[in-house]
Amino acid sequence: MISISLNFIRRRRLTIEVRQRISLGLHVSILLGALFFGIGVCIAILLGRGVELSSIYEEFIVFTFFDSAGISSVIVESIPLVLVGLAAAVAFRVNFWNIGIEGQMFMGAIGASVVALFDIGPEILRLPIMFIFAAIFGIFWASGPAILKVRLNVNEVISTLLLNYIAYYFVLNQLFGPWKDPRDKFPHGEQYDIAERLPAIGWEQVHYGVAVAAFSFIVVWWIIERSRFGISSRFVGVNPKMALAVGLPVSTIVAGSAMASGSIAGAAGFVIAAATEYRLTFTMAAGYGFSGIVIAFLAGNRPITTVIVAFLMGSLFVAGESMKVFYSLPDALVGLIQAIIVLSVTASEFFVRYRLRLASFGDT
Amino acid sequence: MRKALEFQGVHKSFGQNSALVDAFFSAHWGEVHALLGENGAGKSTLMNIASGLYAPDKGLVKISDKPVIIDGPQAANDFGVGMIHQHFKLVENMTVLENIVLAHGQGGWRKSLQRVRKQISDISNEIGFDIDPDAQVNTLSVSEQQRTEIIKVLIGGAKILILDEPTAVLTDEESTGLLDQLQIFAEQGKCIILITHKLREVFSHANRVTVMRGGKTIDSGQSPKNLTPEKLSKLMVGEPTEISRISYSPPKETVLELNGIFSKRDNGHTALDNFNLKLNAGQVYGLAGVGGNGQTELAEILMGVRSMNSGEFILSGTPLTNPSPSRVRALGLTCVPAERYIYGLAGDLSVMDNCVITHLKSGQFGTFFWTNRRAINKETKQAIIDSEIHGAEPSTRARLLSGGNAQKLVLARELAGSATVLLAHSPTRGLDVRACTAVHEALRKSASNGTAVLLLSEDLDEIFAISDQIGVINNGRLVGEFNSPADRSKIGHLMVSHH
Repeated sequence: MISISLNFIRRRRLTIEVRQRISLGLHVSILLGALFFGIGVCIAILLGRGVELSSIYEEFIVFTFFDSAGISSVIVESIPLVLVGLAAAVAFRVNFWNIGIEGQMFMGAIGASVVALFDIGPEILRLPIMFIFAAIFGIFWASGPAILKVRLNVNEVISTLLLNYIAYYFVLNQLFGPWKDPRDKFPHGEQYDIAERLPAIGWEQVHYGVAVAAFSFIVVWWIIERSRFGISSRFVGVNPKMALAVGLPVSTIVAGSAMASGSIAGAAGFVIAAATEYRLTFTMAAGYGFSGIVIAFLAGNRPITTVIVAFLMGSLFVAGESMKVFYSLPDALVGLIQAIIVLSVTASEFFVRYRLRLASFGDT
Repeated sequence: MRKALEFQGVHKSFGQNSALVDAFFSAHWGEVHALLGENGAGKSTLMNIASGLYAPDKGLVKISDKPVIIDGPQAANDFGVGMIHQHFKLVENMTVLENIVLAHGQGGWRKSLQRVRKQISDISNEIGFDIDPDAQVNTLSVSEQQRTEIIKVLIGGAKILILDEPTAVLTDEESTGLLDQLQIFAEQGKCIILITHKLREVFSHANRVTVMRGGKTIDSGQSPKNLTPEKLSKLMVGEPTEISRISYSPPKETVLELNGIFSKRDNGHTALDNFNLKLNAGQVYGLAGVGGNGQTELAEILMGVRSMNSGEFILSGTPLTNPSPSRVRALGLTCVPAERYIYGLAGDLSVMDNCVITHLKSGQFGTFFWTNRRAINKETKQAIIDSEIHGAEPSTRARLLSGGNAQKLVLARELAGSATVLLAHSPTRGLDVRACTAVHEALRKSASNGTAVLLLSEDLDEIFAISDQIGVINNGRLVGEFNSPADRSKIGHLMVSHH
């Protein structure tokens, strides 16, 4: 009756199974394993380029983490990354895929620049006013897609993405036009006055942007982890149907989270304009939107892990920069190293979800 | 008779949970073999091994007395094993023909379409199934979809047909028709394995029966003729179940009134057709009916997630027109939904979060700006103890709870505070006997506390066990109403007769 016949067989093979649960220890070991794997691949690539093992160790570990100048530049690098990471996490956890972080950063920087340009408010309050304007402009830029999403179910991926371009070209328009620097006629904004710049805290080049990041982190942590809004938003993210059925204000939570995301992105724009560039430029937001997405994803959209991942990402950037300078490695190689490490950690998610097991067939 | 499919010493576990422990089974050619057991007894797991979906951890599978390795659905198909799953494996927005070609097409798509179209009409004629090969699957009724699945496995050349609870979704008439057809297949020499938990089907249509309990084979290969229903149910559940009957008590004030509700399904068909209902405080009202007769739409309208086309909806004396879920809840309606992990729980969140989410507004767990984690933790711990939710800590993810314990969690949350109306939609679906009893006790208790309980269920035993008043829904209409104790055969007839 059956055409295929097999004799007595004994065979073993690997099978993939869904994990029912995972212990914290195993989860952490998997992540660390992936990290070391990625680092191992990077070391192999660098060795292939003729960089010595000892100098890799010195650049990546010693000069990045155990050196005052190194660790401080990691912190400076991490400040905007923490902000964009938080911005992405706040939106992603209610399934609002905010791809428009860069646009919202530009708007934040525009808001800050308006205050700086027109000298709004007394000098002593200038920076807080710039911060508030930046946040409001960021909210403004996120509110369109947010309202369209909850009212008309317009896909926010498209609307936020396209608003990036509108913000970018608006900045270009201003910088080549009315806001062109009157001193050198270059297409960047007029330099901020001293009162409009975030001052240094007095350790290496670390500036008060660190306070903005810390403040944002505390507010986000409090809202997400401790407020009623935070608990409700967890349900909106994990099971929107249930959230609606048990009477949670789903639209308000989604729109509110999207606008909170916009405000944090605006704050990131403010920090870069007021602490690094001291003016509005059209290159200031480049790449930050996508860094934010990656950071939030790796951090599982949680505030504390977002800060940790942003810090590690910042150190990767710093180490990469010095590799570029001291070993004349091409830009692409630095990007490759960053990508390999991020990809390894991302891919390790597979082992968090599944287990591999040896199963045997035909075995009595 | 030769053996068709045989298992020896099969083990299978998922994580820490053993689904099968040294299970054995053997079915012959030319018979209808019933595989009987409660939910979670391991029936489906065992048969999923035969259909190549799961690999056993250990054990031997034989087809026609030869050891085989079934390492995928394609291999199962090559060995002549065809399984019709409880949840059909059909692509909803494709036609019947396309679905079958997708599974068993050979060579070019266009050529396959032609060949399979002919096969469908041949097989349809042969076995008397009337199915339009060009109908899109999501326009078909459940029983038509099931026929599509049967034709699919037959075209695939299946000689061993495994059906996983095929009658769970059918009316009595459709069930009888299907089971008769299966007997004909068996007479033609095929091996039919019928996974079921209905004793009636075993006695009426099976040649032999295997009973499983807790992942083990309890009794293998007896003829039902040598068994009594009592013996068989004892083998199945391991302990006698008793059903208490409720005597009718006079009604108190009306808390929920539905008058002339009309509602359309998403596909435009009428779901509720001039539906009326009156619910009184302190009673359990059992609304009996075969699934798909408007119960889901009724539940969704009451929950506030579906709008009705016309009619009156009066809750706690307040007339409502398409209220929001939060409005309905504010008026005291709580709900134990049919799909636990869709409307009832967020599986990826903790027991603690799930336990208090509907009570945050009350203010007992801190203010809007600062929730009191300690109070939530304490309340959850209390609920776990009071409702006997096993295997749960406040921080456990809700998805890790077993069906019964997850349902206890939903009940604990929905019954906390004072509900005016509790809507319970198939609250014991998929639960074992012990969990069922716990759920029933909770529902009775809340009724005695003055809540009006509306029980929507397909399970007559359940309806009879706890209802004060029984209504029958058929084709979107209330076709009968009885006070307990009621005549079971009359209600059964109203459920299935044509209206």
